[in-house]
Amino acid sequence: MNRRHFLAAALGCPALALMPVPAFGEETVKLRDLYNKDLSFSDYALAREGQRVSISGFMAPPLKAETNFFVLTNRPLAVCPFCETEAQWPDDILAIYAKRVIEVISFNTRINVRGKLELGTFTDPDTQFVSRVRLVDAVYERA
Amino acid sequence: MKNLLIASLAVLLSTNVALTQELPQKDSKWFTDAQARIQEMVARQPITGRAKNVILFTADGNGVGTNYAIRLFSGQQAGGLGDDYVQPQEAFPNLALVKTYTTNGQTADSAPTASAMNTGVKSKNGMINIDETVAEADCAAGLDHQLKTFAEIVSEAGKSVGVVSTARITHATPAAVYAKTAQRDWEHNGALPEGCAQKDIADQLIEQMKAGVIDIALGGGRGMFIPADAKDEEDKGGKRTDGRNLIEEAKVAGAQYVWNDETFAALGDAATTPVLGLFESSHMKYEADRTGEPSLAEMTAATIKSLSGNENGFYLMVESGRVDHANHDGNLYRTLTDGKAFADAIALADELTNDEDTLIIVTADHEHAISFNGYCGRGSPITGLCYDVNGAGVEHTGTPLLSDDGKPYTVAGFLNGAGSVLKQDTQWTGSRPDLTNEQAMDKDYLQQALIPMSSETHSGEDVAVMAKGPWAHLFDGVIEQNYIFHVMDYAVNAK
Repeated sequence: MNRRHFLAAALGCPALALMPVPAFGEETVKLRDLYNKDLSFSDYALAREGQRVSISGFMAPPLKAETNFFVLTNRPLAVCPFCETEAQWPDDILAIYAKRVIEVISFNTRINVRGKLELGTFTDPDTQFVSRVRLVDAVYERA
Repeated sequence: MKNLLIASLAVLLSTNVALTQELPQKDSKWFTDAQARIQEMVARQPITGRAKNVILFTADGNGVGTNYAIRLFSGQQAGGLGDDYVQPQEAFPNLALVKTYTTNGQTADSAPTASAMNTGVKSKNGMINIDETVAEADCAAGLDHQLKTFAEIVSEAGKSVGVVSTARITHATPAAVYAKTAQRDWEHNGALPEGCAQKDIADQLIEQMKAGVIDIALGGGRGMFIPADAKDEEDKGGKRTDGRNLIEEAKVAGAQYVWNDETFAALGDAATTPVLGLFESSHMKYEADRTGEPSLAEMTAATIKSLSGNENGFYLMVESGRVDHANHDGNLYRTLTDGKAFADAIALADELTNDEDTLIIVTADHEHAISFNGYCGRGSPITGLCYDVNGAGVEHTGTPLLSDDGKPYTVAGFLNGAGSVLKQDTQWTGSRPDLTNEQAMDKDYLQQALIPMSSETHSGEDVAVMAKGPWAHLFDGVIEQNYIFHVMDYAVNAK
């Protein structure tokens, strides 16, 4: 029995054991909560820079096989973001650097990603992908 | 004889009045409203003067079903139940249903449909203002089979021409106002096949601006106009591989260039033409996400005010381009918020023009695979769950209807698209997730769909055309899409 199941059992609520519960009491927020409407970083994001957070979104089709990098989108992304220049990407995305080589999940299946929040422009030396905000050392699961 | 007819009509009308006065339902508001409508219709006179101005409004992908959803959304946003809401174009006097098929497509894309409206003939999918004998993407043949556009015709007659879109200004619908291309994706030179002598769509826009055909062009798509190694005002890269900066070329040719809400506002009400406004690297933002860019209504109003300075009149095509994109995404909320922005632009255009000299046409190029469930009670939120009919009242009961799987379902859905319940992860099997109204009404929610596709599709279903002004009464019945051109042409040439 892990901690989550123990807590659920202790609360006498078996149904809760089946529901995804964020680790360490951190709430899961939507990717859009990192941004204000004008795409500046939200207070939520600014307050948690450098901390581990849990973000919900969708895995865009990955750039290549055997990678630990993918892009999280607010809504399922109908087209591969890497088939276009950056001009066609949504502005409100989150770059994910996972702890392990990723297992691809369908672009329209909601996932929750936990990782350390990094803010500020970064150009990936391998892919040249430019990101403004990232989760690093990340793990994820289906929501 | 004429007097006799009038006398007979008078007797008939008075007989009807006498009959209706006897009916138990005669005081119902439904009854009296409909009676008032009869009187309006009897008194209605067509406008048969020559049209000085023509405004063609197209909401891309806004067929009869999508328009219905926008009506309910707008009505519910205004605090009502939705169904009885009247969008500005729905109050126009004339209407027809439009068949949108193309010469080779039961389901159209936006290129041949816009072509049909701008040239008067149907053609093949994928091509803009090229006749139907040419195979799609046959560059050489396309150059020999170009059609003359309505913009070119009225420009020769001294009218000004404007084109406004929330999509890239080089995207199919706006491109049909000024470009001729054997392939709609040839928006910048780098997309042209090797050895193709046709000019790309962005280049053609600037050429038509220099030639005096296009006076105002406002939309997205900056990237199509600048070199691949250049960055635009928002630090986005260009697409062109020929090193040309078409924005700079347009400025040298005398165009005013604007790129955000501030520079747009600085144009003022009577901007000197030509004007080139490119507000995004690609498509402009959805209305729900819009910051730093003018609205469709603002762009429409500024264009009308500027072009009204021409005493010979103008032709303006206005596209709400992203009703289509949000439908493709399966995200009904953004479809509807862009649809409301479209209606706002129509209302403003109507306010700024005179019915006696301006023909306003509101239509769509094609419908989508959007569909609607039943039997929802009134006031069921159009983006939310279908609630039960209240047998003892008007508004729904608040109890979601359940399907045979025991789960609630939404009012609207899509037959295919990214919202499919069949997932690749599970070998294309799946089941409908349980759903709350709050989840369904989230602005980022994708309505459930059946057939899995990364992008939801158009459908071949009819669209409506609604019109007012000179010769708007020529719209009636079920028409071919290319007929729209002929009404515009007749109206501007009427004696």
